[in-house]
Amino acid sequence: MDDSQARKFQKDLNAGLVALVLLAVLERSPEDLYGYEIAKRLQKANEGEALFKEGTIYPVLRTLAAGGLLTSRVVPSYSGPPRRYYRITDEGRSLLAQWSGIWRQTRGFVDRFIEGTDS
Amino acid sequence: MSANAARSIDDYLKQLRAALEGQDPALIQDALYDAEEYLRAEVAAHPGKSEADVLELIASTYGAPDEVAAAYRDTEAKVKAALKTPVPAAAAGTSGWKRFFGIYLDPRTYTSIFYMLLALATGILYFTVVVTGLSLSFGFAILIIGIPFFLAFIGITRVIALGEGRLIEAVTGERMPRRPVHPGPPAGWLTRIGEMLTDARTWTTLLYMLLMLPLGIIYFTLTVTGLAVGLAFTAAPFVVLARWLGLDADATVFSDDAHIGGFMLSDHSMLAALILGILGVLILTLFMHAARAIGRGHAHLAKALLVVPGG
Repeated sequence: MDDSQARKFQKDLNAGLVALVLLAVLERSPEDLYGYEIAKRLQKANEGEALFKEGTIYPVLRTLAAGGLLTSRVVPSYSGPPRRYYRITDEGRSLLAQWSGIWRQTRGFVDRFIEGTDS
Repeated sequence: MSANAARSIDDYLKQLRAALEGQDPALIQDALYDAEEYLRAEVAAHPGKSEADVLELIASTYGAPDEVAAAYRDTEAKVKAALKTPVPAAAAGTSGWKRFFGIYLDPRTYTSIFYMLLALATGILYFTVVVTGLSLSFGFAILIIGIPFFLAFIGITRVIALGEGRLIEAVTGERMPRRPVHPGPPAGWLTRIGEMLTDARTWTTLLYMLLMLPLGIIYFTLTVTGLAVGLAFTAAPFVVLARWLGLDADATVFSDDAHIGGFMLSDHSMLAALILGILGVLILTLFMHAARAIGRGHAHLAKALLVVPGG
């Protein structure tokens, strides 16, 4: 109905999806990326209204790193504080594969009802 | 959304800090660090625009301070729940015996003991760094190298504070910062030094590093004494047993004139050895409890001196 309900729904959806997207971005990237770079890639990939605020990816990156799914290293920067570059670990890759499977299955299941392709 | 949108990076960080009021100081330090990385990169990416112009759009890209604060709070709560080491069943038991001996099942006990042993080495290192750094800073103060030397010295103490925090979090589970204290926007050397001198955390960090020497000595001595006495007493009955079996004829459990209270203990009596053994287990267990308590207490001290004043 109103905007706030739409936002709440989006936020609930994002809870798990942001982690999945971040793992996927880092898996595909040939080089290590830092927070701002990742945020800008996501912004560019999405047309129109952003699905989530860029500020929300930082705590998730930190969580993934704490869980051993990413490794990180700090590199000094001229424009601000030292940057933390992230890279996906083997553990992160296998989790990404598993999560991607779950995502495809979930998406197919939800679409069957929403699109009415199955009855 | 908020009544007055931030016009500068400092403003934004101030609002974010306010929105995180009451959260763990270590989380606040991390959140401010991440925000600053993003904001400075964003401003640097738009050289044509002023800081105020860039910040106008921040609420819709990075997120308003309260949104970002909410993201950190939520993630932190989830991570805490997921990563928390489950309390061993024995430790959670209600029976006094179980609780007393459950200490052996708590991994924090062993990590605390490790920390207490290590504290002697780190204590000596920290103390030396502070004393050398401070005296050389005073000595160099009249020379041109005095200023960069002092800056480098304070920089080193911040790196040490971060490393010590990571160690303490690993050992006791107390949440400590995962990012260093950010030095703030680029500024002249004199302004930098002024900020460092007025920042309470600079001084509490130095105090902590000095305190680590006496604390390290106490922790180390306690650990070595507790473990040596406890283990030696506990082993006494086994040594007597070994003697009876003729396995080790040279081992002596007591010296010839060992006394406990008014009792003279005769050499190698099993009863005496058993009493000693029970005493040993008691001492060892009490030491384990003390070690875990010291680990927790020390984590609080570290947080109060290394994190809170700036938080």
